[in-house]
Amino acid sequence: MPTVYADIPILSAILLICLGGLFLILATPRKEAARIKKISAVSSGLTLAAAVYLFFAYDRGVGGLQFAEKISWIPSLGISYFNAVDGFSLPMLLLTGIVFFTGILTMWELTERVKEFFALVFLLVLGVYGLFMSLDLFFIFVWYDVSLFPMYLLIAVWGSTRKEYGAMKLTLYLLAGSALILPALLYLVVASGLDTFDLLQLMDPGTFTPAQQRFAFVLFYIGFGILAGVWPFHTWSPVGHVAAPTAVSMIHAGVLMKIGAFGVLRVGIFLCPEGWKYWAELMGLLATVGIVYGVLAGLRQTDLKYVIGYSSVSHMGIVGLGLATVTVDGLNGAVYQMFAHGIMTALFFSSVGYIYDKTHTKAIAELGGLSKTMPKASAYFIIAALTGVGVPCLASFWGELVVFISSFRVYPLYGTLAVGALAVGALFILRVVQKTCYGPENAKWAHLPDVSFGLAIPRMILVSVIVLFGLFPSLLFDMIRTASIPFMAGLP
Amino acid sequence: MNWMAFTPELTYVAMAAVFLGLSMAREDHRRDFHTALVFSAVGVGVSLASAGVTADLFAESYRVDLFSQVFKVLLACGFFLVVVLCNELSGVKRRLHPEFYLLLTTSTLALMLLVSSVHLLTIYVSLELSSYSLYVLVYLRKNRPRRESTVVHYFLIGASASAVMVFGIALLYGSTRTMYAVEMARVLPSVISQPAAAIGFVMTLAGFFFKLAVFPFHFWAPEVYEGAVNQLTTYIATASKAAAIALLVRLTALGDSSAALAQVLVVLSIVTMTVGNVSAIVQKDLKRLLAYSSVAHAGYVLIGILSMNPAGYAGAVFYSAALVTLKFTCFMVLVKVAADGANITVDELAGLHKRSPILALALMLSLFGLCGIPPTIGFIGKLLVFTAAVEKGYFTLVLIAMINVVISLYYYLLVLKAAYLTEPKAGLPPLPVSAGDRLLAGTLIVLIVGIGFYPDPVIQIARSAAAVLL
Repeated sequence: MPTVYADIPILSAILLICLGGLFLILATPRKEAARIKKISAVSSGLTLAAAVYLFFAYDRGVGGLQFAEKISWIPSLGISYFNAVDGFSLPMLLLTGIVFFTGILTMWELTERVKEFFALVFLLVLGVYGLFMSLDLFFIFVWYDVSLFPMYLLIAVWGSTRKEYGAMKLTLYLLAGSALILPALLYLVVASGLDTFDLLQLMDPGTFTPAQQRFAFVLFYIGFGILAGVWPFHTWSPVGHVAAPTAVSMIHAGVLMKIGAFGVLRVGIFLCPEGWKYWAELMGLLATVGIVYGVLAGLRQTDLKYVIGYSSVSHMGIVGLGLATVTVDGLNGAVYQMFAHGIMTALFFSSVGYIYDKTHTKAIAELGGLSKTMPKASAYFIIAALTGVGVPCLASFWGELVVFISSFRVYPLYGTLAVGALAVGALFILRVVQKTCYGPENAKWAHLPDVSFGLAIPRMILVSVIVLFGLFPSLLFDMIRTASIPFMAGLP
Repeated sequence: MNWMAFTPELTYVAMAAVFLGLSMAREDHRRDFHTALVFSAVGVGVSLASAGVTADLFAESYRVDLFSQVFKVLLACGFFLVVVLCNELSGVKRRLHPEFYLLLTTSTLALMLLVSSVHLLTIYVSLELSSYSLYVLVYLRKNRPRRESTVVHYFLIGASASAVMVFGIALLYGSTRTMYAVEMARVLPSVISQPAAAIGFVMTLAGFFFKLAVFPFHFWAPEVYEGAVNQLTTYIATASKAAAIALLVRLTALGDSSAALAQVLVVLSIVTMTVGNVSAIVQKDLKRLLAYSSVAHAGYVLIGILSMNPAGYAGAVFYSAALVTLKFTCFMVLVKVAADGANITVDELAGLHKRSPILALALMLSLFGLCGIPPTIGFIGKLLVFTAAVEKGYFTLVLIAMINVVISLYYYLLVLKAAYLTEPKAGLPPLPVSAGDRLLAGTLIVLIVGIGFYPDPVIQIARSAAAVLL
């Protein structure tokens, strides 16, 4: 794979914008909440613009790693600051930019401890951006933890339903994940004998024996898999999602869970392809159980956010199933699904967040007839639901379709089960839509205002992205292929 | 004799003499703090100035090398910082202040002697000088019920550890016929497989296990941390630990590549960190909690030491610097929050984010650092010792340590929760934080995160220091 170095360090610029935004927010007096929000919106908008630019400026004909920047950071340990993007990470950067920007706009009406909230969100997103663009194992680990720890405070301070429990559970689970990742990283770095944390050098075929790869892959798979909501390590996820405030749920389900899947791909699969092939069948099994389980558990929920939380488990299972096929199509579908699911859940949580902010309830039974009282809010909710169901012309459809096709070829049984489960899932999501948006109107909510124009902006952005990538899937697939085809071809 | 090489120690001798004089003067004791501050600041300067000196003193029983000088700088800084906290030393009667500074100085002097000692008897004598100063210091706290029992507890465990150590030295001398570390490094590899030598060696380490609070010599830690004046607890948790780590590294480097020794240390390390972390979960008193967290950290440091490779020793040196920084930050917050020098429970941190945002931030970062979350100095410390251990094939040990880290996160988060999530109790005013305190807190924050992000210079120093030993 060629590596094209950047003339202008755009990737570092994204990180610096996040960092600069963070310091600007910290420097702004607490009282000036409006200015803090403006700073947040502008900085997050700038990172989005940079991500969009990268997405289109990436030379698909050349492929490989582009916009690379490399500086020796801790020479005594072989650690370098090495950023670059390829067809796998660019969709993730774009996703982060979109969810970050819309998440900030969604929280426009926040009044409680505004300064700390936005500062922590910036810190979190800094970690997320860093992880997606980093190619040095040390930095990948550092960014991973930078993105996790703000979550504790974000959920515990600004959350709702059982927030302290949810925050503690989430943090402990995710740190348990990193407790597996760090030893595995060190194991591979030491085993390579190269004295470097550089992912590109370590992923040379023949660096690790198949036995080493099989061993390390399990640790990476579980470690990152916890964050990706892999069954049976998913239990933190619905609880955490429910407890988190709207923007945090959006970023969390939309982007953070992708970090897990991306980590499995970037670290686990890149470094240990033999291990990947060896454990693929088990990964497929766990993913399928996750899909089925997520749907069945979702059927029983009475809380709107729990419904989305469990649907996330099931949708992330599709990503896992795609990865488990060990095929180009599987990889393409998985990465596409990561992107699509990120946008879709962001829309889901932002629409539910609005409903909750106004009605102060997430109980499905207490809602009803919202399409009459809040037609716009329920329209966004319905679009998100349809995307979740996998309706054609909306983004998720393509990811799911490609994953299912490739999984039918490799694991006919798992593929059948997964598709069956999704059919049931469609049923349960539509049931939720029916109970909340249609049916008898609840008089209690009749006086509530609908989504204002300002608050509609982030939701409209999300909807248009969903439609855009639903109508033109090749926009993304062509990008992912520039990475997946050479990668699979390079495997021994 | 090269007296330049001995100037840091002489500074502290002079400081002790001054405070001995002051303690006999029956005047007002308002100047004690400033005198101590000036002397300890000079101490830092002198240690820095003599950082590059090498010499062999006192019939080669005392070695001044980069390893010892790095630790002397660390000790001098630790001591200076503790003195800075003594601004409001309300836990000790005013007329006893000179004695407090006197004993603190002798203890620091002893630790400085300790890190340079390369003769078993010098080591033993320095260790005892430091311990006896601390026994008395613990007693100086006013209005503390049952302080006698705390001191006796401390003394008995310390004395037992010393007894074990002396016995170990005797056994070791019997096997190697020498007291000199250099000589021992030559003889030991050939005799370490003999039970007498191996057992003697481990028993010799016992004195430092006591200092570092390694299982089974850790039982004093919670009692003493709780019973001592907050400033003294700070000292015990920082400077005293750093010196203990230094000596463990120096001695273990002698018994290099002994599998039996490594096995013993592996077991001690696992038990120590697990006992520390599990016990810390149920603690209500902040100082007791930090005491058990210190025990856990002793376990992590042992991982670097038992790896017995250059990377491990360098990791342990780095770790000691990290511990001093992080623990000091925690205790600084504790001292500032605790009015009248009282002990505080975790719940009393309530609403710290409102009462003093900068202290709350410092506390949060130090807790994350202690837990080993990047990008903090604590993470780099763990990374270094764990890498060294993996190099030696102790993968399972590292995994166990990481599981311990997860356990520890739970109680660190409980502290964080108290500081950040709860509202201050009604009627509690914002904490008065002076400009100096702000500067100190800010500096510590920058150190914790800055070295966490760019650790290379400090790693280089730690490596060069550890390289002297081999």
